[in-house]
Amino acid sequence: MTQDRRQLTPEAARLLTLSTDPWLSCEDCFDLMDLYVERLLDGPQTAEMRAMTVHLRGCAACAEEAESLLLLVAEQDGRDVHDIQRSLHD
Amino acid sequence: MTPLGSGQEARRQTRYAEGEPTDWPTALAIPGPEQDHALRALHALMVKAARHQVWRMRDMLPTTDARSREDLANGAADEALTVLLTKLDTFEGRSRFTTWAYKFAILQAATEVRRQAWAHREVSLEDADLWSDAAPSPAQHAEAVDLATAVGAAMQHALTPYQRQIAVALLVDNVPIDVLADRLGTTRGALYKALHEARGRLRAHLTRTGHLTGTSQGGER
Repeated sequence: MTQDRRQLTPEAARLLTLSTDPWLSCEDCFDLMDLYVERLLDGPQTAEMRAMTVHLRGCAACAEEAESLLLLVAEQDGRDVHDIQRSLHD
Repeated sequence: MTPLGSGQEARRQTRYAEGEPTDWPTALAIPGPEQDHALRALHALMVKAARHQVWRMRDMLPTTDARSREDLANGAADEALTVLLTKLDTFEGRSRFTTWAYKFAILQAATEVRRQAWAHREVSLEDADLWSDAAPSPAQHAEAVDLATAVGAAMQHALTPYQRQIAVALLVDNVPIDVLADRLGTTRGALYKALHEARGRLRAHLTRTGHLTGTSQGGER
């Protein structure tokens, strides 16, 4: 059986070679997500938050959920959601 | 029912800001009318968060029907509330209770949207040397294309068959991690761990071949 050869896109190569150190599991990411979101909105960043940022770059599902939580809390608090959304992708 | 005295009424008003308990864990833990009230308020919050999540991901769903979205959100909220109540004793007060609670509904709703979106799609796990050299499009830098070619080769040399299958499914075919976990009978965490190790092996191999520097963040933008 022959299979079509495929091209690895530069974007896929970027994601495949992403450094995801320091290590943080999806379970730890979920545990920290509420704290991370509130720190992003108001508080000081810590080493744990750095690990969250790295994890969220490397895990699309966790990133979607963290962004969603951030925007929901921001909206609830009457914050400028568009500003926050922009800062997430800078 | 005995009318509340003015002091009791004041305390009651303090404990219920905008219809929500100010001390959620206590209100949820002790059976009685306050627990019933807290459960109703918490369910409403879960529905709100689940609707928010379903709306964000609505383009993934096979149907545009509002009723189906509402059913999905309500089902996810119910499930998330059940999970949350089993984990109530893990709430440490590091964030507001509502922020902590929302994340359960968001996770549940997002997982369910992804499951429905992929319900009728096959997930093929490839393990073959299928990569051809990429020709740069006008928008792509030749350097990025060279790296892509090197990564394709490195995948054959540096990864185990399982790591290749996982990496290709998640990052090339864009299969959602919880969908892949479900199909493989594993967990999202275990797949992310396998991906983390695969990335480390690829980076080490590409550093040895001179395609990445030791301090390079690789894909970091």
